[in-house]
Amino acid sequence: MRNRFLGGVHPTSHKESTRRKPIVPLEEPPKEVVIPLVMCSEGGAEPVVKPGDRVTVGQIIAKPTGGGVYVHASVSGKVKAIEPRPHPWGGKWPAVVIQNDFKDTPCPDLPLPMDWARMNREEALERICQAGITSLGGGASPTHLRLKEAVGKTEVLIVNAAECEPYLTADHRLLLEKGDQILQGVQMVSRLVRADKAILVVAGDKLNAVEFLERRLRRKKREVEIVTIQTRYPLGMEKQLIRSVTGREVSPGQSALDVGCAVFNVATVYAIRHALLTGEPLTYRAVTVSGGAVARPRNLWAPIGTPLRCLLEAAGGLREEAAVTLTGGPMNGLVQEDLDAPVVKNTNALLCLTEQEHNVDQPEMVCVKCGHCVSACPMDLNPALVYRAMRLGEKELLPHLHLEDCMDCGCCSYICPSHIPLMDLVRQAKKEGASHD
Amino acid sequence: MTDSRPVMRRQPPQIAQVSSISSSMLDVMVALLPALGMAVYLFGVRVLALTVVSILSCVGSEYLYRRLRKLPDTTRDLSACVTGLLLAMTLPVTAPYWAPVLGGVFAIVVVKQLYGGLGRNFMNPALAGRMLLTTFPGLMTNWVDAFQRPGLLSTADAVTSATPMSYLHNGQLPPQSVGQLLMGQHGGAMGSVAVMMLILGGIYLVGRRVIQPRATLAFLATVALLTFLFPQGDGGRVAWMLAQLFSGGLMLGAIFMASDYTTTPVTPRGQLLFGVGCGALTVLLRYYGSYPDGVGWAILTMNCCVWLLDRTGMPRRFGVTPFAATRERLSHIRASLAQIKFVKPQLRLFSRAGEGTMPGEGYLDELRGKVRHGTVLAVAVALMAGMVFGVHQLTDYATVRTETQLQQELLSQVMPQATIRSETPYRASGALSITAGYNNTGLVGYCIEVQAHGFGGLMTAVVGVNTNGEVTGVAVTSHKETLSVGTQALESDYLDQYKGKSGTIRPSGSNAVDTISGATATCDAITDCVNQALSIVANLDTEGVTEYVDGEV
Repeated sequence: MRNRFLGGVHPTSHKESTRRKPIVPLEEPPKEVVIPLVMCSEGGAEPVVKPGDRVTVGQIIAKPTGGGVYVHASVSGKVKAIEPRPHPWGGKWPAVVIQNDFKDTPCPDLPLPMDWARMNREEALERICQAGITSLGGGASPTHLRLKEAVGKTEVLIVNAAECEPYLTADHRLLLEKGDQILQGVQMVSRLVRADKAILVVAGDKLNAVEFLERRLRRKKREVEIVTIQTRYPLGMEKQLIRSVTGREVSPGQSALDVGCAVFNVATVYAIRHALLTGEPLTYRAVTVSGGAVARPRNLWAPIGTPLRCLLEAAGGLREEAAVTLTGGPMNGLVQEDLDAPVVKNTNALLCLTEQEHNVDQPEMVCVKCGHCVSACPMDLNPALVYRAMRLGEKELLPHLHLEDCMDCGCCSYICPSHIPLMDLVRQAKKEGASHD
Repeated sequence: MTDSRPVMRRQPPQIAQVSSISSSMLDVMVALLPALGMAVYLFGVRVLALTVVSILSCVGSEYLYRRLRKLPDTTRDLSACVTGLLLAMTLPVTAPYWAPVLGGVFAIVVVKQLYGGLGRNFMNPALAGRMLLTTFPGLMTNWVDAFQRPGLLSTADAVTSATPMSYLHNGQLPPQSVGQLLMGQHGGAMGSVAVMMLILGGIYLVGRRVIQPRATLAFLATVALLTFLFPQGDGGRVAWMLAQLFSGGLMLGAIFMASDYTTTPVTPRGQLLFGVGCGALTVLLRYYGSYPDGVGWAILTMNCCVWLLDRTGMPRRFGVTPFAATRERLSHIRASLAQIKFVKPQLRLFSRAGEGTMPGEGYLDELRGKVRHGTVLAVAVALMAGMVFGVHQLTDYATVRTETQLQQELLSQVMPQATIRSETPYRASGALSITAGYNNTGLVGYCIEVQAHGFGGLMTAVVGVNTNGEVTGVAVTSHKETLSVGTQALESDYLDQYKGKSGTIRPSGSNAVDTISGATATCDAITDCVNQALSIVANLDTEGVTEYVDGEV
């Protein structure tokens, strides 16, 4: 492990329960899938199918308006309705509900596989947009736009397989099971953005994957470097990753490209390769179903739009009552009230935590100035002073604290021995700072 | 736009680390257990009794204060327990039981709760309580040697000894080996002698991630570096450095007090600066201070600078180069300097009337509030002062003062020429004590306390000898002579004969005194005393080794 990442926290990883479980398809495919029209952080989408239409796997069901991406059917069957359904990002939003006919009829007019040695850049980007690929790690930004921006400006392409959040093993399994394809994908993306160097970053808790990939690299030369970094949350965040790998720091207000780096998630890279080489759009993704309350934690290859309930049933249901259900990792994930919400493109996990694991409701005590939050903050902020400003009324401190740098990783809230919701305080402070300006 | 589409908003973490304030405090107590156990082994069960008294008084005063002020009870966070335990660790085993009570009440009520309780105090309560106790004469100077084990109730049989710190203070290496220093086989504060156990406790705390070792390591490294660069004594640099590191209160202070949460900086750089400051001050105080040790004062002084250190140590903004960060900081300083305006001072004893009420009302409310606050403050100050004064009066001062008075009378009897007398550190065989007498022209002479065998038993006398080697006076302080026969020789008629004599007084001849018939043995004993004193003064080695047995701080 050559590089070390300072700051951050190291929660108990809990990955043991799923890291040896291969990614398997659902034994019982969902009876109906709910595909929200918007699964991308930019732009909207308009449906191009009507209730009653028959759809096939991979068929376009919504076209982007603005900067978004296409939306595809992930199962074949009949469109039941287009109506607001619970969205994992919160609230109810229009979604295409497809009644599954369990035939998985492939779409007849999928684009042809590309010969990527003679690939045209524009064509490839268009293909990625049509395949509906967004960032699968969490950000959900449209990948073709980020690729387009990165072309020519990228010195180092960083592919993020850190997966530093506890419980998550989907990327780890993907590395182990699709290692060759991922390495090929990294090389393709690297060529696409004309990067000088491509680095695949793996956190130190996945040494078997590192070993496997390096063995692959020895057998088949590719211009990919594998870097292992000690696991600490939030290593996977863009700025931290760039600092750990290249030593460059992204200045406030700048983006990763300003320091010559482009960061893509490993699952995204796999989806890009798949879309370019087979022409199939993004309709499936790997999801870890885990947590102490889940009876049989496992990694699943689930069609996008699968209701979370269906995933939970595939994992044997609940062993005990779940204190909280969330999609994504426990540090940064989204709390799900409604298990009818579907898997969307950036859903990398479904976690059901027990009361014991979900220990955030402890009574808040006073700040004892232990300084743990300052040491843990990956952006080198001072949450202890934010507490002082917000709770003890020293508001004049706020402009000096650079709170606009905060990226809501939640390390401060996690580490605080007094259980002060520091992240919420920082948010409030940011809001107040904004209203002052 | 944001309303027409789902937006992903990050949420706070759904997991939290398991430790809490009380578990951290429990960890600190666990870390102190080895040192406490070692203290019991070295100094006996009185250690436990003092510790229990100290913890009880801290927890009790916290509970009572919060109860009386109708505030929520905070004894469950265990911080008062830690304060009590730490306070006990810094006391000598011979400390009377009121000492931890007074120190604990002061630490909890004045230093901690009056500032708003846990998280708000700016000084380490345990250390402040201990420093209050050093103001009592005789309390913090009785360092008994290891394995003395004074009794639970009486400490009279305990013999005080020089601590390693007092040797170091005089620029000498202590006689103990490094191993003995590590295991605490010497006199000192109960908890701070067993350095090895304290280090074990520190490793435990760092391993459990209760404390961050920055301040501690910076503290120790600074002390090590400075003592290595500027050694004293003739045992070599490394021996001097190790002796400095392993004696006195350094380990206890560096591991358990410089890493205290509330009273140390929160920023990593601030913590480093804090440690360096503590180390530098400790070495300065040890080298140039009048107390042998300076760890406590150093930490308390740096406690007062924490806010400044935190501002200085603010982490560099992510993505800003050090150069740009410095420039930004300078521009901040310039901006804040430009904002300084001279404001004419206004003395407002009764501040302005409240807004929206009639002027008189606001004024009266203000006044009432001021009177109430003033009364509370006055009562609190009076109580505290009364407590401190009362305890001073009732305990050490009374005995110390009468002893001092008697001593002074005796000395003025044997050396009327001297106006100022002070105990010297000189030692000579046969002399129980040597006191120097001075007047406005300088040294007059020495008063030597000597012993000799009389008719009935051991006799103690104080003999004044001036710088010319002449006797200025003799006084017998204790004897076992028979009444009427022997005591004639103790009266001033007889004793005055010795005045002006010098050299060696013979039983007969030119340099002799007229003995009293029937009390020859007593007279011989007195003569023996005077001769001893004369020879001691004649051979007094004022340049040689001096040994202070003094308070260790």
